Amino acid sequence: MNPGNIGAVFFFEWQRALTPARVVWWFILTLFPIFIITLARLTFNTMPRYEHRPPGESWPQQEPWLLFLFALIPMLVSMLGSLLWTAPVISSELERQSWTYLAVRPHGKTALLLGKYLAAVTWVLSAALLGLSVCVVITQAEDPWHLWSTIAKLACISCPAYAALYMALGTLFPQRAMAIAVAYTLVFELVVSWVPAIINKLTVQYRLLALLQDWGSITFGNEMLILFGYSPAWIHLSMLAGSTACLLILSIVMVNLRELTTTNGTEG
Amino acid sequence: MLTLKNVTKFYGTVIGVNDITLSLPPGAYGLLGPNGSGKSTLLNLITGQLKPTMGSLRVMKKTPWGNAELYRQIGYCPGSEGLYSTFSGYQWVVYLLQLHGLPLNAARKEATEALEVVSMCHAMHRPIASYSRGMRQRVKLAQAIAHDPEFLILDEPFNGLDPVGRHEMTNLLQDWIARGKSLLLASHILHEIESVTRSFLLISGGRLLASGTTQEVGLMLANIPMEVALCCNQPHHLANLLMEKQMIDSLKITDQTLVITSDRPRHLFSQLPTWLADTPIEIFEMHSTDQSLQSLFDTLMKIHQGQSA
Repeated sequence: MNPGNIGAVFFFEWQRALTPARVVWWFILTLFPIFIITLARLTFNTMPRYEHRPPGESWPQQEPWLLFLFALIPMLVSMLGSLLWTAPVISSELERQSWTYLAVRPHGKTALLLGKYLAAVTWVLSAALLGLSVCVVITQAEDPWHLWSTIAKLACISCPAYAALYMALGTLFPQRAMAIAVAYTLVFELVVSWVPAIINKLTVQYRLLALLQDWGSITFGNEMLILFGYSPAWIHLSMLAGSTACLLILSIVMVNLRELTTTNGTEG
Repeated sequence: MLTLKNVTKFYGTVIGVNDITLSLPPGAYGLLGPNGSGKSTLLNLITGQLKPTMGSLRVMKKTPWGNAELYRQIGYCPGSEGLYSTFSGYQWVVYLLQLHGLPLNAARKEATEALEVVSMCHAMHRPIASYSRGMRQRVKLAQAIAHDPEFLILDEPFNGLDPVGRHEMTNLLQDWIARGKSLLLASHILHEIESVTRSFLLISGGRLLASGTTQEVGLMLANIPMEVALCCNQPHHLANLLMEKQMIDSLKITDQTLVITSDRPRHLFSQLPTWLADTPIEIFEMHSTDQSLQSLFDTLMKIHQGQSA
């Protein structure tokens, strides 16, 4: 397949991303963590512990900000942004009946998937990184570079991983893509990932939390170690990279094997 | 160009295309059938978007399902709209050409030429949302012909076109055929297909009922019972004459119109001028009252099922 086909879809999707509705979504995703961190900052300002702090000390240490930003950026922004973009990757084209035009191009289905995937990852990542950068400035944390780099690395991992996951769900269940993606997120990523069992290791969230613990030098108690184990970072990275690649391959195989056609009023 | 062997397509328990066997050399063909007859399913099979449940088909000697090489040789204009309204027709056609593997500059050049062919140059940079239905149809045609395919497949291309647009579309398709390219044009309106080609495939209920030229299909129907209305100055005398000749199965007279049913219409049409030559009967108008496409399909379906028409 010509990589230019993927590039064509990528640039076309980015042009679509500049429509007002999508620009509004981008700003919501960017501004929401900024809004929450600003509120947290204002709250800390009014807490007695920090109000009369001695010089050179007493803003909250790194860990609370790391946890806060982890919840807002790799979890919320990456997860939600990827879900909105990639879960309806097939269903949106089927609904708008543009699928047929793309499906009858040489390797059109594969180019569509990969082009949309790349567009989704870059779109979400741009919102995540900009939001993170502003948030880190607002936190006035003691080591802003460490805070930024830790969360940025996690965002760079979570966006492709979640995008691949939701894209796979979107190709497996094109008719109920959004509902299934939301249900999966609520059940597996937000609940099962916290269950100390083998099943939680199958979630993206588990790997991200384990990497946060490692890269953020967070001193969780022994109870949390039961949850995350002692695996080194490279294992989590390999698992995420491997699962992302497998999910993308699954999506490509599914979309090329399935008979997907638009329904239209002129069905003859 | 197109070979189908016992092609059947099921959607679950619903049959879309039923045991179609067909072989077509390169040329222009009309796929005619009422709504819901299986035309779009057949086109989806031909364009490789569906796989036959049973049987096999080949398009330009290739199996169409997911065949990238074939997609370079065919152009498809679906019946559905499916255009991105915020983009211009030009952007849309360039995008689809890029998906054919053309570099951006080449895609721009080809898109401009295709839009010129369909007379859309004046509006090609406007958003599709501002286009009329006819303009959208033309953009759809432009994306189908832009990569210069050998075989053009159109699903209801006349939908939504005004008379001028229909005329222009007809001319475009006639030019396409004149260039020696192949065409398969699906429609549920006989006249639309007749204006472009004389070769038909008639499909109903997922079955291929007949194929051939207008004359061949006409001959097939010539000896099946037909209801004919004859407007004349002496309908009672005409009725007597035809009864004497044993041409009538049933008759009805209203004002100056004699409506008969004959099981030998071909013989009737050929002999009527001779029989009337020495009589004062003058026929002003004669037409089949049963010429709707649906009745044609019903008749062919009955023949296909081995019933008497």
